[in-house]
Amino acid sequence: VARQRPLISIVDDDESVREATKGLMQSVGYMAEVFGSAEDFLKSRQLAQTACLIADINMPGMSGLDLHRHLSASGKPVPTILITAYPDDSVRTRALESGVICYLSKPFQETDLLSCVGTVVPGADP
Amino acid sequence: MPLADAAKLWRPAAGFALGCAAIAALTWFCFALDARLAIVALLYMIVIVQVSAIGNVVPAVALALIAAGCLDFFFTVPIFSFRINAPTDAVVVVAFVSTAIVVANLVRRARRLAEGAALGEQLQLVIDTIPAVVWSNLPDGSTQFLNHGFRDYSGLSAEEARVTGWLNLLHPDDRASTDWPAAFAAGNGFEREARLRAAHGEYRRFLLRFAPLVARAGGVVSWYATSTDIEELKRTEEELRQRETYLREAQAELAHVNRITTTGQLAASIGHEVAQPVAASVTNAGAALRWLGAEPPNLEEARAALSRILRDGRRASDIIGRIRDLVRKAPPRRERFDINDMIVEVVTLTRAELHRYGIAPQTRLAVGLAPVEGDRVQLQQVLLNLILNAAEAMNAAGAAPRDLLIGSDTDEAGGVRISVRDTGPGLSAANRERLFDPFFTTKPQGMGMGLSICRTIVEAHGGRIWAAANEPRGAVFQFSLPREAQTAAA
Repeated sequence: VARQRPLISIVDDDESVREATKGLMQSVGYMAEVFGSAEDFLKSRQLAQTACLIADINMPGMSGLDLHRHLSASGKPVPTILITAYPDDSVRTRALESGVICYLSKPFQETDLLSCVGTVVPGADP
Repeated sequence: MPLADAAKLWRPAAGFALGCAAIAALTWFCFALDARLAIVALLYMIVIVQVSAIGNVVPAVALALIAAGCLDFFFTVPIFSFRINAPTDAVVVVAFVSTAIVVANLVRRARRLAEGAALGEQLQLVIDTIPAVVWSNLPDGSTQFLNHGFRDYSGLSAEEARVTGWLNLLHPDDRASTDWPAAFAAGNGFEREARLRAAHGEYRRFLLRFAPLVARAGGVVSWYATSTDIEELKRTEEELRQRETYLREAQAELAHVNRITTTGQLAASIGHEVAQPVAASVTNAGAALRWLGAEPPNLEEARAALSRILRDGRRASDIIGRIRDLVRKAPPRRERFDINDMIVEVVTLTRAELHRYGIAPQTRLAVGLAPVEGDRVQLQQVLLNLILNAAEAMNAAGAAPRDLLIGSDTDEAGGVRISVRDTGPGLSAANRERLFDPFFTTKPQGMGMGLSICRTIVEAHGGRIWAAANEPRGAVFQFSLPREAQTAAA
């Protein structure tokens, strides 16, 4: 592998969703790492390398939206896509106002997710 | 009672002593004056009458004999001797003694009569004053005596009441429904509830108690009856019963409504729960297609993605199965089941809803619990209610941290105990007592039926539900179920 492939970090407390998302990202040539909670992600070495963050909003502990805001406030903003099983217009508005790239409600079309990722990360191979 | 006996003896003794003193004084005085026999006898008689008025017949008779002795010894010829020479003197002494005895008896009888009259008056006062309708009647039912209460209540004069009699005060139905002649013929005390007609014609319910007066030879001489007005008592009792019936009906109705509402709330929550595996499936399918479309196709990754789809599909259909169970309007069923399986199911169903509140439920389930017998869906409702209550309590209070621990273990009686611990605001002692009462709620929009219904369900399974303080904060709700519940809820 000649060049470093972009790293997509996935934070979701639902194992099925995070494993599936990881598989999808790998199938299009990205590197992907999964985390069960925002706290785990913040503690990880991968935080600095992350090119794009896909985070669930509704999680025990810190929510995906709070994670995004926290990163922005600490001066290390990471392009973020929020996904949720609880679509809520006011949350959507707040998320987009906070600079989130995409707000997707579960279940979403995998093509939508990929195009959101594509807007911030140069397309990998396939 | 020695004291009473002493008091009883005191009066005659004092009378006797006084009488003796008086007779001694009279004897000395008359002897000195050389009074005539008849005069002395008369004076003695006065003393005896006084003594019998104070004391009783025994000292009076004793004094009469002493006085007769004195007459004989001091005032008949020869004096200073008990011999009597003149027959007329003997007649005087004998007449004196017999008259004295007769007078003592008469005085005693007069005194008894006066005492009896006073006692009778007092008894009459008591009977008239007691707050009850009192009468006595003959074995044939005819009225003998009746008290003021009777006249007051019936509005009849003493004479009218006696003529009308208590039987005519009875409500015609009560007069007919009870076999009064048979009750009186049995000769034992008895009680009946019956309506009695008041002055204005209205009927009020009374408790009638009859006690027989039995003659020494056997057979009832008369009956004594007291009747207490129990109308208010009866009304309160009926009102209470009515209210209980309403409550039970309302509770049954609300149990159904509650279940539908809870189901509705859950439907939304379950929607989220289903969204997860569906989202994962779609994503996995997209990945699988891409792995297959690659050059060369990556079959291993594609297979991995497909097996994840299979797993997610199963997860989704499990959830759908559980929703069907919950929504089905099935009659109460009795089945044997593992309580831990039930807990895990409910926790899974509520997980999504709890996440919304920022709560990650924990479970601590004991192994080897006795199987439970009962209506699984109803018991699920109970646990569901407790879990959602805990979540709402922690959320409303803005509690942090929000720990929810659902546990199971074996209780002292060998049954199972399920507990739901939260770190919310906890319960005040006053609230804790009323928590399970219908319509009691601490929530602004609560109806106060949830816990009441929970209790109904748990108790119908032969179990118990209670709340306590959690350590270090919050509340713990627990319910226990016997090894095998006797009855499923109706």
